[in-house]
Amino acid sequence: MNIQKILLRFGPKAENLLAALREIQKENGYIGEKESKQVAEYFGISEAQAYSAASFYDLLETGKPVKKIIRVCSGGVCVSERSLEIIRQVERMLHIELDNDAHPKYKLETMSCVGRCDRGPVMEIDGKIFEGVRVEMVGEILKDYI
Amino acid sequence: MKIITRHWGKINPLKIDSYIRQRGYEALQKAVREMDPKSVIDEVKKSGLRGRGGAGFPTGEKWEIAAREKSPEKYFICNLDESEPGTYKDRLIAEKNPHQVIEGLLIGAYAVGAKKAYIYINGRYAEQAEVLQIALDQAREKEFVGSGILGSAADVEISIHQGAGAYICGEETALLNSIEGKRGEPRLKPLFPPVSGLFGKPTIVNNAETLANLPYIIRHGAQNYAEIGSKTSPGTKLFLLHGAVKNPGFFEAPLGIGLRELIFAKEYGGGMKSGKEFWFAQAGGASGRLVPSGKLDQVLTYDNCEYPLGSGSVLVVDKTEDIKDYLFSWADFFHRESCGKCVPCREGTYRLWEIAKRIRNGDIRERDRENVEDILWTLGNTTFCPLGKFASVAWSDAMKMFPDKIFK
Ligand SMILES: Cc1cc2nc3c(=O)[nH]c(=O)nc-3n(C[C@H](O)[C@H](O)[C@H](O)COP(=O)(O)O)c2cc1C
Ligand code: SF4
Repeated sequence: MNIQKILLRFGPKAENLLAALREIQKENGYIGEKESKQVAEYFGISEAQAYSAASFYDLLETGKPVKKIIRVCSGGVCVSERSLEIIRQVERMLHIELDNDAHPKYKLETMSCVGRCDRGPVMEIDGKIFEGVRVEMVGEILKDYI
Repeated sequence: MKIITRHWGKINPLKIDSYIRQRGYEALQKAVREMDPKSVIDEVKKSGLRGRGGAGFPTGEKWEIAAREKSPEKYFICNLDESEPGTYKDRLIAEKNPHQVIEGLLIGAYAVGAKKAYIYINGRYAEQAEVLQIALDQAREKEFVGSGILGSAADVEISIHQGAGAYICGEETALLNSIEGKRGEPRLKPLFPPVSGLFGKPTIVNNAETLANLPYIIRHGAQNYAEIGSKTSPGTKLFLLHGAVKNPGFFEAPLGIGLRELIFAKEYGGGMKSGKEFWFAQAGGASGRLVPSGKLDQVLTYDNCEYPLGSGSVLVVDKTEDIKDYLFSWADFFHRESCGKCVPCREGTYRLWEIAKRIRNGDIRERDRENVEDILWTLGNTTFCPLGKFASVAWSDAMKMFPDKIFK
């Protein structure tokens, strides 16, 4: 992926840094040390600043994702809609444990509220959001990813 | 009485003319053509409008501070970061009537003398950012945005700034750092943003819902607005109801409404779902206090009430639920969202999260109670920004209200 080409779409001003990082994330999948270096050069900031910004946000990755990340919302509203049972169902079906890194292919995490509480419970796999998830639907949803 | 939701469903959010037909942008015209910045601020002060971002700070007074600053460069920011669990009101405002926020933002920027404005929107709200971008482009075509607004001397440029997933960036100084391309960590206050904010310049940060009130105030006058809702917290508010109620969803109601009415009245929550019995409510998202049934007569205002209304989200929990699940939910959220800048919050939220998991497994005993209280006190009293305190609020209430359901 040509990072330089992405960067050229943005004026090298501080206020464009996050937008540029978002775009690199979208097209490159992550912002690692190599990418941070290019970003730093382009914006005229230190590598440390570029990387520390990239590593701060949930929606930016600093390494190439190697596993499928399955996330379930643990916000109060989703919990009241039984999202913790969805977590247990995923654990059972994929033989994994919440927050445990052991599985080579999958990782199950919780996530923060995404503001879709009117359509919860919410889960996310590889960046795709699923709404109104019921325990019975989990198998069907996972099918496309395993 | 509807101010925020007045035109929802009736206008096409993607067509500016549809908003203009409802007399949209008339308030902006009135402000830039008939009023000077000072009289706009006076009008907003007289209206009694208070910020809807949670703390209820008087809007006009905040503007006055920035207006007084002599700096040639000032900024105005619409806070649409909205990431309090259970809160999606600003998302609705953006998608159902984006022009109302833009009009409010323009009026605000004109009043304080800011030539550059930003809408800082939650990184998860990609569709809403697009709707806002379309609205902005249309507003620019009509000469509402840009230089020489409607032939006046007022210049206001607006750009949309998308976040990237961080609850703390809703805190105004963290938000400023985020726009500046830094980690979204809060800054030390004072200086407060109206004096020294974005790039060190005077900056106003207002919640999107706060701004959506402005067209009404300018068009109908402060007097009219001040008569709606409660005397010290005038106007209406968007409330979100969740959980064991018959009609969950969003409702616009006058401030000063009682919690009981919001949950039980037919036009709002409609009471408990059949077969469910009220246990407690949490007002204000994960940061909110727990309200027992004996305290439902509480009115929802921005005065120093016992149970702050926060973002306006209310979760109703019934007696079949397990408090341990919620303790986990709160701790899980705050340990993830702690920005890590200060030790008591970074460590405290992490330990609380570990404890929450052990409580769910039944591994925490009465003798551990003092230690948990210790962590909660530290979070509540020693952290750099309010997030640490937020993390302790619901936990502290739960420990007082249901100790026997938490400890073995
Ligand atoms: C941890 C934390 C998170 C916050 N999140 C938001 C938010 O998502 N949206 C918001 O408008 N204000 C949020 N605030 C409040 C802002 O700091 C600020 O007070 C507010 O945007 C001011 O706007 P107002 O005067 O119109 O209420 C948050 C505050 C804290 C401490
Ligand atoms: S209280 Fe938490 S969120 Fe606030 S500065 Fe400290 S670590 Fe960051």
